[in-house]
Amino acid sequence: MRAGLVVSAGLLWAPLWTQAGISGGVQDDTGLRFWRLEDRGVSFELVQRLPDQTRAFFQARGFSAEQANEIALGCVFQSIFRNTGAAESGAVTYDLADWVVLVNGTRLPVTLKEAWDRQWQESGVVEPARIAFRWSFLPTRQRYEPGDYNWGMTSYGLPPGATFDLDMAWTRDSDRETARIPGIECAPDLRSLSGDAP
Amino acid sequence: MRAAALGLFLFVALFCTASTWAEEGTQTLTLLPERQQAPGFVLKDVNGETHRLSDYRSRVVIVNFWATWCPPCREELPSMQRAWEQIRDEGIAMLGVNVGEDADTIFPFTAYYPMEFPLLMDLDSKVVEDWPVVGLPTTFVLDPEGRLVYRAIGGRRWDDPRLLEKVRGLKARQ
Repeated sequence: MRAGLVVSAGLLWAPLWTQAGISGGVQDDTGLRFWRLEDRGVSFELVQRLPDQTRAFFQARGFSAEQANEIALGCVFQSIFRNTGAAESGAVTYDLADWVVLVNGTRLPVTLKEAWDRQWQESGVVEPARIAFRWSFLPTRQRYEPGDYNWGMTSYGLPPGATFDLDMAWTRDSDRETARIPGIECAPDLRSLSGDAP
Repeated sequence: MRAAALGLFLFVALFCTASTWAEEGTQTLTLLPERQQAPGFVLKDVNGETHRLSDYRSRVVIVNFWATWCPPCREELPSMQRAWEQIRDEGIAMLGVNVGEDADTIFPFTAYYPMEFPLLMDLDSKVVEDWPVVGLPTTFVLDPEGRLVYRAIGGRRWDDPRLLEKVRGLKARQ
């Protein structure tokens, strides 16, 4: 099923395999892995975020080292959801609460930013940090007209290096669509690999 | 060797063409079904000047919600500046509303992304939460009556003549 493709050094997005609208590979410029669904007028892309990237981002916006570390170790991806349908194809909606993380047959929810935010509120995280957190994550629910898209982080609640399948769902008009992206890998924690973990 | 070079050329040409198509596909403005009144606001810009949305009544206004850390915001901001250079003398206003960041963060950012239109600071995010926005960037085009007419979720190339034509079209109806 998987088809190996020639990788051109000049491309930022070099697909290593494709299957029924789903592709994956390694970003040439960063070495980070990505997975992409392009099917039925939507595009959804996940790009690994190294835990150190996430730690740095949130510490720079007011989170403590411990709090930033907790986010960073929650399997965070940069995510892009886009309505790629033609102008007359209508709006697409999704709700991350409907998506399922599959790990060895166990069904788990996506970790929603609202759950994180309740934790930040209870632990007294300063408001500017909470604002950055809320807006840097992909919207939990969104409606995209053709041409609309968002970038944002998503978090899957798994340890660094874990592998999972993601069952997605969305609707176009009133038609429910589903897709599975298999074999997604949380980025490794290079700090723990090098023995620098706190 | 020659065949390989030709193959590479065709592959790159196809990739570039696909990229162009992809960009064209994103150049949309959604016409909102009902022209609801835009929520008002009073915000300071990075220079300390106060801006009331109501001060811009009778003008077409582009309101862009953004943040410095937001990749598609950074991608579209240069095109907003180029659009501003075209429309600033036509009575059309453009307001960049930064979400949650202060002047100490925004001002150095403008050294890399020069912007001459007003950059307002929604420090506590109360304004963006009043507007129908759930992700950044989101941009609205308001008619001279202060109503929400067009919306774009995600970045656009704002100096695209097709987009500016729609913006100018609101002005012509005054």
